[in-house]
Amino acid sequence: MYMNAQLPAPVLALLLQADFDPIRDEIGRLQRNFQGLIWGFIAAWVILAGYILMLTMRERRIRREMERLKSMIEESEKK
Amino acid sequence: MLVLAAALLAGNLYVIAHLADEMRQGQIFRIIFFHVPAASAAMIGSAVALVASVLFLVTKNFKYDALAVSVTEVGLAFLAVNLVTGSIWARVIWGVWWAWDPRLTSALICWILYAGYLILRQALEEPTQRATFAAVYSIFAFTDVPIVYFSIRWWRTIHPQPVFFSKTGSFPAEWGRAFGLNMLAIFLLYAALTKIRLRQEETQREIDYLRRTVHAF
Repeated sequence: MYMNAQLPAPVLALLLQADFDPIRDEIGRLQRNFQGLIWGFIAAWVILAGYILMLTMRERRIRREMERLKSMIEESEKK
Repeated sequence: MLVLAAALLAGNLYVIAHLADEMRQGQIFRIIFFHVPAASAAMIGSAVALVASVLFLVTKNFKYDALAVSVTEVGLAFLAVNLVTGSIWARVIWGVWWAWDPRLTSALICWILYAGYLILRQALEEPTQRATFAAVYSIFAFTDVPIVYFSIRWWRTIHPQPVFFSKTGSFPAEWGRAFGLNMLAIFLLYAALTKIRLRQEETQREIDYLRRTVHAF
């Protein structure tokens, strides 16, 4: 009765139609929470794995360059 | 060292998964086990870079320059982990990916400053000039690190106050053990990656020397 006196009829009608389900809301919150955690862990591992991949690729490039230069020097010394 | 760190991290993941949820935050609080150690490792790395840069300017020994660039590059990856995990955490808890808050902003500036350090090194060809300019820049960049650390004490911020070494927060012993183990694993990983990067830097110097020798023929 008190709410009827305070709220305009259309607002009250909307509120009555609204689907309030605290259990569903809580499940949704927990799901978002868990998804956030998983994405956080994935992001951390992907960044570190990406950096390690970058280091590995650089290592290969450096080794190739080293071998190329050493062979060039050996050839020059032979001449 | 790399294998040990990876094994520790993987093993500890099981322990972290079985910890009790935090009362208000629920499961997402577990991000702290990566978010904080990544930031701590990056901060220690920036302090090492500062010391190495000063030592290079004093001694002109290139091994300090190699150390500075190695710890800075690895630190940048760890700081990226800190920023990205923090952003995901913020999205769940605050409802936004990012806020221009003193802690978040100063940490982002820190990342940009150290990325600038690496870009500066790429731009300079002459080794002595490169190392000298980079050392001076690294000392300048470090001025942001205390700002990042103290920002949550100096200014009003939505970022939580520190849990460790403060009166405001507390961590149950079980969480503390898992956290300590993860901290150790991440520090080991940082050290292992720095060692690899340092070796690459030294090999690169050798390559530069060989290139000059080849040109001399």
